[in-house]
Amino acid sequence: MAIMSWRLPATLAVAAVLCGALPALAQAPIRIGASLSLTGTYAKLGSYQKEGYELCAEDLNRKGGLLGRKVEFAVYDDQSTPATGVRLYEKLITEDKVDAVMGPYSSPITEAAANVTEKYKKVMVSPLAATTSIFKKGRKYIFMVISPAEVYLEGLVDMAAKRGLKTVAIVNEDTLFTKSAAIGTAEVARKLGMQVVLQEAYPKGHTDFSGLLTKIKAMNPDVIAAATYFDDAVAITRQMKELNVNPKMLGVTVGGDLPEFYDLLKQNAEYIYGATQWEGALPYPGQREFLEAYKRKFNREPVYHSASGYAGCLIYAEGVKRAGTLEADKVREQLLKLEMKTAFGDYKVDADGFQIAHKMVILQWQDGKKVTVWPDEVASGKARFPTPAWNQR
Amino acid sequence: MSLVITPAMLGQVIVSGLLAGSLYAMVALGLGLIFGVMRVLNVAHGPLLMLGAYVTFWLFSTVGLNPYLSLLVSMPLLYLLGMLLQRFLVYRVVDAPELSSLLLTFGVSIAVVNLAQLAFTSDLRAVEYLTGAFVLGPIAFSKSRLIACAIAVAITAAAFLFLQKTRLGKAIRAVSQSREVAQVCGINVGRIHGIAFGLASALAAAGGSLVAVMVAIQPEMGQVYTFKSFLVIVLGGAGNYPGALLGGVLLGLIEQLSSLFLTTQVNEAVAYILLVVVLLVRPTGLLGGRAS
Repeated sequence: MAIMSWRLPATLAVAAVLCGALPALAQAPIRIGASLSLTGTYAKLGSYQKEGYELCAEDLNRKGGLLGRKVEFAVYDDQSTPATGVRLYEKLITEDKVDAVMGPYSSPITEAAANVTEKYKKVMVSPLAATTSIFKKGRKYIFMVISPAEVYLEGLVDMAAKRGLKTVAIVNEDTLFTKSAAIGTAEVARKLGMQVVLQEAYPKGHTDFSGLLTKIKAMNPDVIAAATYFDDAVAITRQMKELNVNPKMLGVTVGGDLPEFYDLLKQNAEYIYGATQWEGALPYPGQREFLEAYKRKFNREPVYHSASGYAGCLIYAEGVKRAGTLEADKVREQLLKLEMKTAFGDYKVDADGFQIAHKMVILQWQDGKKVTVWPDEVASGKARFPTPAWNQR
Repeated sequence: MSLVITPAMLGQVIVSGLLAGSLYAMVALGLGLIFGVMRVLNVAHGPLLMLGAYVTFWLFSTVGLNPYLSLLVSMPLLYLLGMLLQRFLVYRVVDAPELSSLLLTFGVSIAVVNLAQLAFTSDLRAVEYLTGAFVLGPIAFSKSRLIACAIAVAITAAAFLFLQKTRLGKAIRAVSQSREVAQVCGINVGRIHGIAFGLASALAAAGGSLVAVMVAIQPEMGQVYTFKSFLVIVLGGAGNYPGALLGGVLLGLIEQLSSLFLTTQVNEAVAYILLVVVLLVRPTGLLGGRAS
């Protein structure tokens, strides 16, 4: 033992010297494991996230890697099912013995996989989970990147209140995400002194909104905030025109940000507000480099899933850099303290790892283009307000 | 904020309910036809409607065909597909317990939806054709829904005339009343089954082509129409063709009225509660089952 006691530090010292001297990449790479939805319902979105991870690894390696080691992703396909995701994280951690993990795609799979990563005390930055409850269950090692559902229409209501509007009607599809978005919107509206004159859900797959819109028309609210997916956003807009429901502002959550929204509705999409996690045109640090590198590598424009995956991986890397180690508790400490600006926007979490800095942006369709109108710091244009009558759009 | 419901609002909602109901009635008539003739519950009815919507979409987006004219393509195409489905798959379960037909058509339904996902991707599509409304006093008539209603009523009326007046129609009703007696009278029951399945699929296709102009098109759009059609034929009386009409219009009205007087969230619940009440009070449906 006496011999060991000096030999070990000596070996380490030699190793340290060698590490400094040798090119960084000669060491064994840091392997980051993740399960992503590469087939099944979420196939498209999961592969966008994978592209974000790949681009991040490339970026890190070009700048000398992480802790002087090369970064490599080990990605499996969870077929868009939570049960497979659980099995794969178990395998990544116990069999493949990866050095770190990153989050899967979607809230349901993250919710399930988080049980595994918590069990093995692995830090998991989860760039594509937007459900608040995942982060509010006392889990210690999970970190959120995107804005939660509740704040999707915060900007719409904020803009309305600043323009002196008083009443808002909130409708939502009766499913997890949209329900949270509606509840959050109502809360913000009340906080800003607006009156919520109606808050009503409709079942998934609802196609005829005449009854609901007739009711809303009679209440004549200043603002209609609709927590939607794509097809209901389109159906509601079309029927609002038919029934001549004409609020001063109409905002939708998911759907309004897609190019198809305008393709479908043409001039009827004008003046409508949409919400999005991210846009390529936002003036975030590193944005230009990200867009260029992405286009070079994948030959098309990125969507927010790629940007968030990319940023989430950089955020984890920054935590590791500051901790100077891969040890989960130390990285966790750094990630809890970290405030960072990436190509995806701001990152800062509360004590639960819940995202509190990232801002949704509100956009408005103007002459067939999406113009960012909120928040003011990143707005690329002024909102056209109020919305004119349907036949003057 | 208390809401006063004015007669104009009520009128608007009733109009919307009737417009929607006529479409439900037409689509449900197809489902009822298959059930009446074969005792088969066709879970794939909605997915067939989805295929009809895609026919309209592709014809509109590639050659710019008027979506309403595309009915002339979608209906014959789906008629053929329906006949083939009957000829090669469904005939096996005609005399089997109803669970077998449910399982088989459920499988067909999954296959059709997934093939559509493979072939057309899950991207949302739409036919941007008619928007806006005709306004008559305080009531707005959605252009696309009004035309859809008119066409649905015409097709449904034609289907009824066919069933009532033509020899083939009479043969179909005969098979639906009693297969054995029909067979004894020299009716080729297998052929009638194929024709009935084809007709039903054509009715679904017509529904698909008409809703294509109103809602976003995607591979999973059809299922909701399967459920609505089930509701309609049980309300009206399974196997009773005029019952399907009554059920359809009733469902359309219930949906919109419960949206106005209660909340939109409960409109399905209201429809199903009514269904339970009908089944308790009149187990054969409002107009009685199996008549023709």
